[in-house]
Parts: sequence; structure tokens; C-alpha cells
Amino acid sequence: MDLFRFSKDVFGQKMLVGVNWDFIWVPIFLAGLLILAHIILRVFVKHE
Amino acid sequence: MANKDEHQLSSDTESVRHKFVDRIFHWTAGVLILILLLSAFLPILGIKFDWLPWHWVSGVLLLFVLTFHIVRALFFQNFLNMIPKTDDIRELLFLSVKSSDPEKYNAAQKFYHLITAGSVLVLAITGAFMLVKIDTPLWNRNPAILSDDQWGIIYVLHGLSSLVLIFLVIVHTYFTLIPEHRQFLISMIKDSGPKWARKKKDD
Repeated sequence: MDLFRFSKDVFGQKMLVGVNWDFIWVPIFLAGLLILAHIILRVFVKHE
Repeated sequence: MANKDEHQLSSDTESVRHKFVDRIFHWTAGVLILILLLSAFLPILGIKFDWLPWHWVSGVLLLFVLTFHIVRALFFQNFLNMIPKTDDIRELLFLSVKSSDPEKYNAAQKFYHLITAGSVLVLAITGAFMLVKIDTPLWNRNPAILSDDQWGIIYVLHGLSSLVLIFLVIVHTYFTLIPEHRQFLISMIKDSGPKWARKKKDD
């Protein structure tokens, strides 16, 4: 999967047009992972 | 009190943690950032609507609000309170903090602010450039100020920073709502709150 999106300019040359939006799920997944880790840590610390 | 962890505070340090004007800034910036994220990403996720007016108007308003905050932080507040120091790195690594002085913000708050400020600044600057690509009642478009390659870099920086901001908004919302941080949430609403986020070493 490409990190960036490309298009063609009026001369047919490759043109960078931005980030590949398929990566929108990466920050959501990472945030969920961090939250899950924190919840597990809280439960673990509570039982200590 | 003995069982409270370091993020919780003793009741003898209550004060006005955030002044009214700073609380207004926080919630205004928060609402604008949510409008910006939703207007940017809902169409990408398949919810189609005329997102551009929502996006650029919120963006312009956010530029004004951020300018106000930066001026206020630099000239009317002690911005050093928010700059991470060696002890903050130690705190983040679960090492013992050397200074015995209390801190208004703890390490997590300082680093969170630093990363958020960085990503929002990149978004604001690249967004300000992108404003010249659209016609508005206030100005006419002039995309010729940059080359296609330069626009590509602007779009990539804007997009990457927006992905970072999605992560930060989710994490911020979670840590705001957990019970240990209830006092910090209240301090962003009411005229009272904990004076210190990191207590004196011996407290």
C-alpha cells in the first residue's frame, strides 16, 4: 500500500497530491491500543 | 490521600488553574478542531456533504484563536510551565524526579501539549497556504503562488498532521474522562482546580 496519493498533471507527469487516506485507520487503531494498554495497566495496578 | 497516585492532588493546593479566557480558548479551539476533523474525514469515509465551507471557515477562525493563544502564552503567561524539562523525561520513564519543586503540568501533559502544538501549527500553516486555492467571499483563488511539487508537500504535511491529530484527540478525550483526571476536567470548566499536577517530591 502506497503511503502517498499521486495524480498526473496536464503534461502527464506524476504529481504528489497527498497522503493515502487508507491510513486513516492507523491513528484510530494506535489510540485504541494505547487506551487498551492503559485500561489493562489500571486494572493491574488496582489489584496490586 | 496516602493511596493516591502521583497524578492526584492534595486538597490544600486548590486554585484557579485556568483563567476564564484560557478556558474559552480551550473549548473554542476544541470545537473548531472537531469541526475541521469531521468536515475533512466524513466525506473520505463516505458521508458526502458540502464540506469545504465548514472546513475553511473553521480553519480561518482557528488561525485567529491560535494567534491569540500564542501571543497570550508568550507575553502574558509563564510559557515555561509548559516546556518539558529533564525531570519530565525522567517522570515519563518512571525514574525518580530530581527537583523537589511542584509543577503546574506533569510530564504527560507537557509532552501532549508539545506534540499537539506541533501538529496543529503544521496544520494551521499548511492550511493557511491552502486557503489561497479556494474562492471565498473574502479573496479570490491564486494557486500559482506554489508549484505542483510544492503543493504536494503542503498536502502531505497537512494530511500527516491531521492523522496525528486524530490520535491525539482520541487519547485526550479518553484521559480527560478517566476518574483520576476528573479534577483537571473540572478545572477546565469551573473557576477552581488543582494548582499542581506534579506535587512536591516529599508530598
